[in-house]
Amino acid sequence: MAEHISCQEVIELVTDYLERALPSEEASLFEQHINFCDGCEWYLDQMRATVAAVGRIEEEEVPPETRDKLLTAFRHWKRT
Amino acid sequence: MTEIGVQNSAAGAEDVELVARLRAGDEKAFEALVTRHYATMLAVARTYVKTRAVAEEVVQEAWLGLLQSLDRFQGRSSLKTWILAILVNKAKTRAVGEARTVPFASLAREADEPAVEPERFRGPHDAFPGHWRSYPANWGASAEVAAEDHETLRVTMRAIAELPPAQQTVIRMRDVEGYSSDEVCAALDVSAANQRVLLHRARSRVRAALEAHLDG
Repeated sequence: MAEHISCQEVIELVTDYLERALPSEEASLFEQHINFCDGCEWYLDQMRATVAAVGRIEEEEVPPETRDKLLTAFRHWKRT
Repeated sequence: MTEIGVQNSAAGAEDVELVARLRAGDEKAFEALVTRHYATMLAVARTYVKTRAVAEEVVQEAWLGLLQSLDRFQGRSSLKTWILAILVNKAKTRAVGEARTVPFASLAREADEPAVEPERFRGPHDAFPGHWRSYPANWGASAEVAAEDHETLRVTMRAIAELPPAQQTVIRMRDVEGYSSDEVCAALDVSAANQRVLLHRARSRVRAALEAHLDG
């Protein structure tokens, strides 16, 4: 295991880190790097902000014909 | 319907109330539920069948199936887990005979794609190979504010819509709908490692789109 990892390596480990899927040794190297590298700390923040933004997107429209069909089915179901 | 249930969290109070409203014939509640899950259901169905048209039929069949079995819903799993299980059942039934087009086959190629362009890092002959040439911006608190901004959300939605199907499905399930990684792996027949690769590529591309928008 290398004694340190580069920024280019760090950015590819971000998701595994956030998913807590990194082996403990690699997780330590990752955290050591983040602690002294502002660029990667900001990058990690950007990825967290991205996840937050994705969580806030609005729902897409359901095609009208599909919606009508399902609502009709729902009304029938209600009566039975 | 429990084959998906890797680690089902039980239905919460919200689910119980929603199901009661559906049983009482609340059309608005049904419509809201369909709207909330439609895009993700379509994305999941598309990983099993060939065309968008067939995927739409599968999603419709799933909703009809849900209505038929709604009276049997006992809240042992969350409503969204239950909806997903019905959908995957319908999709698998439909996929029989219609050879699955496994968009995950393109995984290896997608996996080679770097999260950030290599040009942004110092080269092998530099004193600090692999380090940033110039740092990415510190979004800081502005990212929180920007995420509330309509234009930022539009950029985010467009970036997601432009992702390859497998990546789009995974980021929707995980980050939009809040399914667990176990649920995603079970629903898509994908390994935990491959699920993370898809999630990483998807988040990285959306981040790049946001960066172009916010720093542009």
